[in-house]
Amino acid sequence: MLDVALVSLIQDMSEKAGVEGTIQYWLRVGENLARRMGKEAYMGWPSFNVALREGRTAFSIEGDVTALTDLAITDVDGDVVGYIYALRECVFNPTITRIRYSVGEVPEADRLVAEEYNNSIKDTAVCNFCVIHQKFREEVARNITVAGQQLECLQLADRGFTGETKIAVDSLKKIGINEEYVRSLLRNYACVYAIIMHGARLRGEEEEA
Amino acid sequence: MKRRELVKDNPLVDVAAYLFLEDIADKQGAAGMNTYLMSLASALAQSMPEEEYDTWEAFVEALKNGDSALSTFEDVEMPTRHCVVTTESPFLRGWQEYTKRIGNFASIHYEVAEYYNSIVKPGAIDSQDIIIQTYRAEMAKRITVEGKELRVAHIATVAPDGTKRVAPEEWLPILLEKAGITQTMLNMIMRNNASVWIVYTE
Repeated sequence: MLDVALVSLIQDMSEKAGVEGTIQYWLRVGENLARRMGKEAYMGWPSFNVALREGRTAFSIEGDVTALTDLAITDVDGDVVGYIYALRECVFNPTITRIRYSVGEVPEADRLVAEEYNNSIKDTAVCNFCVIHQKFREEVARNITVAGQQLECLQLADRGFTGETKIAVDSLKKIGINEEYVRSLLRNYACVYAIIMHGARLRGEEEEA
Repeated sequence: MKRRELVKDNPLVDVAAYLFLEDIADKQGAAGMNTYLMSLASALAQSMPEEEYDTWEAFVEALKNGDSALSTFEDVEMPTRHCVVTTESPFLRGWQEYTKRIGNFASIHYEVAEYYNSIVKPGAIDSQDIIIQTYRAEMAKRITVEGKELRVAHIATVAPDGTKRVAPEEWLPILLEKAGITQTMLNMIMRNNASVWIVYTE
């Protein structure tokens, strides 16, 4: 119920504080949530990926996350510095469905918040909740170390409730993954992101330089 | 199976919502948080379509089946014509996820309930009660049965951790009489349910 009530409030908040105000609120919520979940440390990628599969990392709160271990991200020396991860279902989909069958329709502010975020911050949102959980992932990554190295999260692609997709082409170039390949992942997943070691010398970045 | 049972909420959305409320409390204190909680519940009720029922029986049937907006978010049973029992808190999963992933439910959620009890109406244990009780009261205003506006009153609530709060002693006999249950029956109901309330028209 709380999620449905919160969505009703988005409309009110956006009318009073503007959609920019709602975005600032949501960014803070994402940041606070990650901070409250604490720090984590793993010996290496296998232990991190097992923890993720077993729902022990902060990332697991989002739902069923799959580590696509066939998609290792390597640095200029060919060392594995990260992987691609995918969420089976958008975290906001259950709420949207519940709104559909309780209130009737999602308020317009949902779309307006996403549009403003895409225009002013990063073109990766398909609904207002993307603002919270994309920020959440970025902050969670900063709180986790793998083999002593701090992590970084890159949003790659997502698919909304109505089928709209967003692909972060710049991030894909950075990690050297083909856009069409990630698009094909969206057939089976709702949200795709990369977790890499912060400061890694990525192939894509080196090629661009 | 009821439709809402088919669609479970996502823990991230629920926990984020609690943190959003705590963020408000950090800036505006318990009073500001209380205002937000009540606005949140009122906004939700206002976004629901109005309802009208020709007979009390038709309303009771809709309420029990989850077809009324009053029971959209909760599973209810009706031991008598006016007594409603919510079997499980609609916030239970969110609360469980919060305590599992964040830790103890922040004290502000209890402090705001004390504020609500002293300023608005006694009957809340935590912030979740403010939302559901305000929602029920506001939603009732949008429902008519046999041409009369529906009224709601709260008898008792049980928090996810088992804490109970019953209406003030001076109100209780009247509420129990309207509900058509005894004090002993109330205690029996509270053992394994989330809240007890009544619906009636003047």
